[in-house]
Amino acid sequence: MRLAFYPGCSLEGMASDYAESIEAVFRRLQIDLVEIEDWSCCGATAAHSLSEAMAVALPARNIAAAEKLGLDIVVPCANCFNRMRFSQVMIEKGIYDVPWPVTGKIKIHDMTRLLAEDDMLEKIRARTVRPLSGLKLVSYYGCQMVRPPRITGYTDYENPQTLDRLAEAAGAEVLDWSYKTTCCGASIGIGRRDIQEALTRKLIVKARQAGAEAIVVSCPLCQSNLDLIQAKESGPATPIFYFTELLRLALNSGGRPQHWLRKHVADPLPLLREKGVIP
Amino acid sequence: MHDDNSGGRTDSIRPRHRIGDRGDHFLKRVEGETGANISACYQCERCTNACPVSAFMDVKPHQVIRYIQIGWRERLLSCSTVWVCLSCEMCTTYCPNDVGVAETIQHLRKMAANSAIQPRELQLATFHRTFIEELQRFGRVNEFWLMGALNLKPGILKDKIRTGALKEEIELGLTLWRRGKLKLLPHRCKAVGEIRTVVQNRNGKVR
Repeated sequence: MRLAFYPGCSLEGMASDYAESIEAVFRRLQIDLVEIEDWSCCGATAAHSLSEAMAVALPARNIAAAEKLGLDIVVPCANCFNRMRFSQVMIEKGIYDVPWPVTGKIKIHDMTRLLAEDDMLEKIRARTVRPLSGLKLVSYYGCQMVRPPRITGYTDYENPQTLDRLAEAAGAEVLDWSYKTTCCGASIGIGRRDIQEALTRKLIVKARQAGAEAIVVSCPLCQSNLDLIQAKESGPATPIFYFTELLRLALNSGGRPQHWLRKHVADPLPLLREKGVIP
Repeated sequence: MHDDNSGGRTDSIRPRHRIGDRGDHFLKRVEGETGANISACYQCERCTNACPVSAFMDVKPHQVIRYIQIGWRERLLSCSTVWVCLSCEMCTTYCPNDVGVAETIQHLRKMAANSAIQPRELQLATFHRTFIEELQRFGRVNEFWLMGALNLKPGILKDKIRTGALKEEIELGLTLWRRGKLKLLPHRCKAVGEIRTVVQNRNGKVR
């Protein structure tokens, strides 16, 4: 299986640990990821805050490049996925002319849904060598991956299941909670820290109340928001895992976890040691 | 005696608007430009109840829609709502009439950004502009350079020093650096010229 891979800007910087774990997991699952050559930024929130034409055109360049390869795109970042789907839908409707030809013949997958397909889950279960048994998690999807449903194609946007299924395949216990798709504040902290703290703190508190020892996410911005807010906290941390990190642990694919989990601010190592996942 | 019906409040100097005193030009314009179904709103307030940041807004999402219906353009473009909105799409998703509330607020943000009205949230408005400038420069966006460029914008650094946000930001930067999460050198796309053209023609061709 071959797929075009659009990492997005975050995965080069703040989410470099996400990028590493994706590479390791896909190598283990024997799926070829072909990085789109010379990919560019999708424009994120800023582009559609200033001009819709720009918000449609910027992702179109990457979609066109993948169409040239003839491969479906898989996108790990929730916002990039949302922007690319938005661009594809708007071009299909024929509202904007874009400088790069987009025919809409390829699919844009978000990474969680791709891996949460039944056959993929089978593959993951079959290869799990280090089940994360006893680890109590809640899954957090955020906004951009699931909403609005007409763009993202999620039918269970109120109670999505993809991350839950993936974490369960890795052997963890996934708890139910009501804040799966409540916004974490995204990049508003740049101008209004008060709003950011209120929203993010609430999620951490609610997750702990639900009995979770850790949170599993798929969005780079959600991860850094939830992780960094714990920088000044004392007491036991609530680690924020990318779902691919859990899979990498379970599949035991490459590297020492003690090494590649170091990039977290809320240190996950004590928790994993306590559960006997790592020595 | 109060002739102006203000109930004795001192802020009655502000000219009062009356419903319908401005015609429906603004409503028609926003509906035409966004394709949103704004006339269909019957003020059930589901958007405001779903909104995670409505407590921080001066004009609540359902009021935004109402103000468009009655044409209060200046009030909308100068409110904090357009900048505080997170585009989390809760309002759009739960609207019973498919109004497209988030898209409408996004559109008002575009109008505000392109108007001469001073944005209520200067830092957020500047952030979006800086993001696009960085995108134009490299084709991709590097978090470290983005924050650096933002701090060099007029008024931002002064504001951050005053509120103590700069100290926090430096601490945060150090934490990220120690964890190896900062990429100091940006990557420049080969096709940065094409991207610049797109950004420059941003108000570009609508078919």
